[in-house]
Amino acid sequence: MTFWRKALAITWKDVLSEFRAREIITSVLVFTILVIVIFNFAFGETVDMVAVAPGMLWVTFTFAGVLSLNRSFILEKEGGCFEGLLVSPASREAIYTGKMLASFVFLLVIEVIALPIFAFLFNLAVLTPQIIVITLMATVGFVACGTLFSALATNTRARELVLPILFLPVVVPVIISAVNASAIALSGQSWGDMAGWLEILGAFDVVFLTVAYLVFEYIIEE
Amino acid sequence: MENLGYLLAVYTIVWLVIFGYVLVLIRGQKRLRREVEQLKDALKDKATK
Amino acid sequence: MVSKILLAVSAVLIIASLALIFVYVPTEKTMGVVQRIFYWHVPLAWNSFLAFFIVFISSIAYLWKRSPKWDILANASAEVGVVFTTLFLISGSVWAKPVWGVWWTWEPRLTTALVLWLVYIAYLLVRSYASSSERGARFAAVVGIVGFLDVPIVFLSITLWRTQHPSPVIFTGGLVPAMLLTLIVSIFAFTALYGLLLVQRVAFRKDEADLKRMKRLVESD
Repeated sequence: MTFWRKALAITWKDVLSEFRAREIITSVLVFTILVIVIFNFAFGETVDMVAVAPGMLWVTFTFAGVLSLNRSFILEKEGGCFEGLLVSPASREAIYTGKMLASFVFLLVIEVIALPIFAFLFNLAVLTPQIIVITLMATVGFVACGTLFSALATNTRARELVLPILFLPVVVPVIISAVNASAIALSGQSWGDMAGWLEILGAFDVVFLTVAYLVFEYIIEE
Repeated sequence: MENLGYLLAVYTIVWLVIFGYVLVLIRGQKRLRREVEQLKDALKDKATK
Repeated sequence: MVSKILLAVSAVLIIASLALIFVYVPTEKTMGVVQRIFYWHVPLAWNSFLAFFIVFISSIAYLWKRSPKWDILANASAEVGVVFTTLFLISGSVWAKPVWGVWWTWEPRLTTALVLWLVYIAYLLVRSYASSSERGARFAAVVGIVGFLDVPIVFLSITLWRTQHPSPVIFTGGLVPAMLLTLIVSIFAFTALYGLLLVQRVAFRKDEADLKRMKRLVESD
């Protein structure tokens, strides 16, 4: 069980340092709220909120995800902590799991705060169990993939740009599924109607958690 | 024979792109060959010194 | 040697394919002459999938064996794959205009092709953005593996999305034997062309790598 101890130690280190500095969460949260507000201006009064809301919600979360993933690896690299991690007895897989769980926690915190704000600004019932399940599954997909790609991006020249270039096309199924499932949830339909989307989200999560876990060591070999 | 223009457009574009790609490849290979020749000469100079 | 054979084979097959497309095959009923784009559109698509499959296999082989030849193969195949995908997208779009009235539609196959294109452009970019060429090879291999596994999921999600909204069908009706023959010849023509371009690119990159090594040897004396 030392694998989990090491992985969770890494997660705990990231979460703890984040909660002391609050760099990532504050900035990404402010960004998220701004994006929501700007979307409102972009669409104006005459648009059907229920139709547009799922798209807006997931574009916002996607961008917040990219920002948060970028910051978490880049901060570490700049602080020289990355080399420290590599020298530690933690296996590459444990590093992946630890960082992934940490990013998951950060994104979750952002989503937990953003969803009620969204509900408030748009008068939409987004705090249903269905939306929560969709959000959880999509976030797993984002961090599974995003942790792998942001480790890659940190070691390249155009750091902040490389992550979105890689991440966004690959994560298209998550976005499509989350948007469509949320639309179904917001219009009050049942779990059965969104089963197909949840299956795709589930399949994506399983495939990418597995593949990223296996392939991560090749990224941070040094 | 309506829409003949579109048909011809596609085939022309595909041809041009593939042809263009092949030209770029050939030019790259010529450059490489030139560098190999230069290197051979440099080696010959070293050998005779 | 292999190059010359492939050159001859592809030249012959492409000429055969063109002859079949423009002279032999009957015009399709519903779409008219424009439908003939199909005979190059589909081979471009199939061969780009072949190219990306080769990228997938070579990427795994490279991460496993670390021999540069696998990396060179993956790189070359990805390049040709991107060229073919670009052409497949353009031909699909120009075909869509007269038939469906629009340059683009978010139809499953076209949209997946677009995402495919973006993923492999990212593959090529990752190589150039990496800080060293060894890293570039490793990172690209990872993208080559992850990207290939992602594409079926992308296709599934887009298909599910589009079945909920009606979308134009590629075409109804079956394929007359004459059409099937034309299609098959064209597919092989493009496979031969893929092979030719691949072999050329691989040879080029190998020579480039050899040259770099020799330069270093000469300079170090």
